[in-house]
Amino acid sequence: MRKIYPCLRFMSLIIGIFLLPGLVFAAGDIKIGIIDTYSGPPSSYGLDVLDGFKLALNKINSKGGVLGKKITFVTRDDKFKVDLGLTEAKELIMRENVNLLMGTINSAVSLAVSDLAKKEKIPFIVTYGKSSSITGSKGHKFVFSMNENTEMIGKAAAIGLAKRPFVNYWIAGDDYEYGHAIADAVWTHLKRIKPDVKLLGQSWWKLGEPDFTPYITSMLSAKPDAVIIATGGAGCIPFLKAAKNTGFNRKVPIYMHTATELSTLRPLGLDAPQGVIGTANYYFYYPETPENKAFVAEFQKAYNRYPSFGSLIGWYTANFIAKAYEKAGKVDSEKFAEALSGMTIDSPVGKLTVRQFDNQLMLPMFMGVTKKVPGYDFLIATDIVTIPAAEIMPSIDDIKKTRSKN
Amino acid sequence: MEPDDHSRFKWFALVVVGLVTLGLCPYFLPRFFTYLLALILVTGLVATSLNMALGFGGMYQFHHAVFYGIGAYAVSLMLIKSGLPIVICFVAAPVVSAILALLMGFICVRLSKLYFGMLQLSLGSLVWILVFRWYSFTGGDDGLHGVPVPSWISSVTGSYYFTLIVSVVSLIIMYIVLNSPFGRILQAIRDNSERSESVGIQVRRHQLVTQVIAGFFAGVSGMLFVTVEGSAFPDLLSWTLSLELLIMCLLGGWFTFFGPMLGAAIIVSLRTMVGAYTEYWTTVLAIILMLLIFFLPEGIIGFIETLFKRSHASPGEDL
Amino acid sequence: MDFLTTVTSSGLIQQFLVGLSRTTILFVVASGLSLVLGVLRIPNVAHGSLYMLGAFLCYSFATLFGKNPIGFWVAIVMAPLGVALISLAAERGLFCRLYDREHLMLLLFTFALMLLCRDIVKMIWGAEYRSLAPPVVLQGSLSILDLPFPKYNFFLLSIGPFVALALWFLTQRTKIGKIARAAAVDRDMVSAVGINVSWVFASVFVIGCFLAGLGGALVAPTQNIAQGMDHTIIMESFLIVIAGGLGNVWGALLGALIFGLTDSMGILVWPQFSIVFPYAIVVIVLIFRPKGLLRATW
Repeated sequence: MRKIYPCLRFMSLIIGIFLLPGLVFAAGDIKIGIIDTYSGPPSSYGLDVLDGFKLALNKINSKGGVLGKKITFVTRDDKFKVDLGLTEAKELIMRENVNLLMGTINSAVSLAVSDLAKKEKIPFIVTYGKSSSITGSKGHKFVFSMNENTEMIGKAAAIGLAKRPFVNYWIAGDDYEYGHAIADAVWTHLKRIKPDVKLLGQSWWKLGEPDFTPYITSMLSAKPDAVIIATGGAGCIPFLKAAKNTGFNRKVPIYMHTATELSTLRPLGLDAPQGVIGTANYYFYYPETPENKAFVAEFQKAYNRYPSFGSLIGWYTANFIAKAYEKAGKVDSEKFAEALSGMTIDSPVGKLTVRQFDNQLMLPMFMGVTKKVPGYDFLIATDIVTIPAAEIMPSIDDIKKTRSKN
Repeated sequence: MEPDDHSRFKWFALVVVGLVTLGLCPYFLPRFFTYLLALILVTGLVATSLNMALGFGGMYQFHHAVFYGIGAYAVSLMLIKSGLPIVICFVAAPVVSAILALLMGFICVRLSKLYFGMLQLSLGSLVWILVFRWYSFTGGDDGLHGVPVPSWISSVTGSYYFTLIVSVVSLIIMYIVLNSPFGRILQAIRDNSERSESVGIQVRRHQLVTQVIAGFFAGVSGMLFVTVEGSAFPDLLSWTLSLELLIMCLLGGWFTFFGPMLGAAIIVSLRTMVGAYTEYWTTVLAIILMLLIFFLPEGIIGFIETLFKRSHASPGEDL
Repeated sequence: MDFLTTVTSSGLIQQFLVGLSRTTILFVVASGLSLVLGVLRIPNVAHGSLYMLGAFLCYSFATLFGKNPIGFWVAIVMAPLGVALISLAAERGLFCRLYDREHLMLLLFTFALMLLCRDIVKMIWGAEYRSLAPPVVLQGSLSILDLPFPKYNFFLLSIGPFVALALWFLTQRTKIGKIARAAAVDRDMVSAVGINVSWVFASVFVIGCFLAGLGGALVAPTQNIAQGMDHTIIMESFLIVIAGGLGNVWGALLGALIFGLTDSMGILVWPQFSIVFPYAIVVIVLIFRPKGLLRATW
């Protein structure tokens, strides 16, 4: 018995403390809940998104907000963990009463929260999760993707690589869902476009692999024409470093998605290998349009650094949200979701449309090659080829098929 | 001494009042707290099952989360892939965990203390890496989401009641087991395994049975987790989660039955509360843990019990 | 997408060498863990954090002393020393009060330190990836049987035997090593003889942590220095120490060899499942020899 009294007392104390903040929130604002990874290796991406988002949001709010309301946001750190992300999503929906959810770089969290969003009928805008099932097989009315997905990466890479004379490939990558999804997508589409390509072998390393040398030597001994590297975020940097140290990039052409992205090349400085082929969705130096220049200048002024793709995602997501609420005419989940689906806005990379069928943003892709260029203390992409969004969007028929299976 | 009947009645009344309060919670608490209570019950249940082996069995259960995660995966996979009736899936999941516990326990109970813990840790990480790696079957690191649990169970209120009923029943069973002759033998083994062996107790067999029971109830909690969250993912088998569960036992008091539940309540609610204000929730946890180890090694309930014992021993002091 | 790779003999040798240089890092870190576990009986979960700290300190020192060749060498000496200093403070301030506690308490206490270290690293160095180039002398690669092998990995290979010998000398030939070994077996006896066990323990702890820092500093130029690098290494080191025999330095070497080589050779055999191999091997070893391959010190 004695054991239970303190138990109960503690419980009631904690519940009491909990109830407090739930009561204090400014009525009348549009409230966005952001769940993303703000600690651990992926946090630099989340922070870039957040900075771009804040930049656009400040502008929107300083012009009086949307529908006469200000847009505010709260952030939660999911620490790249699904259970934490889920609890936080529920807390944001049920306690903070947010109108909208946004995030996250972890595909597993994105998928889990998307499932919750469907049940709770709260729009959820995925910012950096790249799994193609988010808007594909697991897609629904309330989930939106503001990022390229693995299927799009695969298609873009296949289109770009098919133009080059390689026949014998080796595939290697991060041994987790993202890596495998990219590898599968690239290979399926490459085979479709260019049926005579051959796969000599594959290597998979675990996430956060400390040393790539063993894999590189085993790849070299097979003598492929080109190597497709399917790593994301954390894996790109050490891999490129190892490629440079072993001289891998001079012996075999390497393709790697995000290899030419600022987030990958900036931390490497001038230690990055030259001549690596990479696709990316955004360069602050390309396309050289006034819109892009204006965005870069604005971002640099606010944060004193170049904007990365993440910053751009944050920036246009805020603009999409504002415009969708305006079109919806009131703060309502159903109306908002209907408004955002099929919407088009102007951006530094041209007009961007959310595809009506699956709520996937249609993003163009750029393929470039890394090179040392005077004036930058890191490598940048050159020989840039634009692959239009329409060519790389996942096929609607395929999605219909996978959805009917579930 | 007070008459035993009287104290037993008070005990009983308190439990009934507590249960009724918990049962009425969804009617007066906001939805989020109902969900949070369900989560606390689930986490508390797995911590209690861990404490069965740790606090009462004296085994260094370093990787208990494996059984929890396997339970969650078993029920999710069966619901997604097998098409069996839901009742069978719910019952089979803990059994899968119990079987795993039997296999691992069979290897581990040959050793004791730190060696036992380390061996369990290595076996557990092999299971974890297999789940993490086996894309075609477990969904790899993305995990399984949108598990088709019927909505009358998976809604916030539904999952709360389901969790409440199952965990109360499980707690009662565990309580009975620990207070049975078996439970007393177990504690005797914990206190002095050599002496127990010399009086003819089969130490290894008792420890193995404990492993299986603890694994079974961890599997039950894993199954409940899926009804509450609708997902299963590799983090549920991670070593860090195992350590967090150990913290819960330590915080509440690892020689007490209700300690782990209290510890889970504190950790889960603090995590949600502190996490809403700062990214540095882990710093807070680390500081709590350090203070705990230095000043409150017996945990909160353990500490309160010692206070009571002291005041009973010399009643004059308090009056 | 199934296939069988034809393994050339030069590829095999390459892979072997690479596995060895990987073993070196694992050995340096695991031997430190083993030392602390064997003598002090602390299952130090924060060991991985010290490794991470070593890598970050190496980066900072190398940047501080200008990115010239000497800067790197200064950093590689200073970083482990810095880690050792921090661990000395932790030992004198915190651990020395906890030696008589249960292993479980010590485990959780080091877990608290690990959580704290993570957040401190985040506060000091931020979220960005850091990258450090090896000194010019060790940049690029040598060609072995027509395949490139990084010079830096040769450097790593040469470090391993030094550390092993130094540790052997320390534990077997010096006074402090002998006292430590005796204290590991029976600490009351040693203090009864009139030896200040407390300081012996402190020095062993600091040496163990120094090795973690050294491992981190050595690995810094081969990978990106980021939060989260503590996570895998600590699990792997624990497995190595368990498989090799708790507290046995040679056991740590053997364990690291088994772990590092199965990992790198497994890639040739079955790349998709290579990650599972080292874990499976450790488990197989433990099923047959539950207390590890070599005799533990206690």
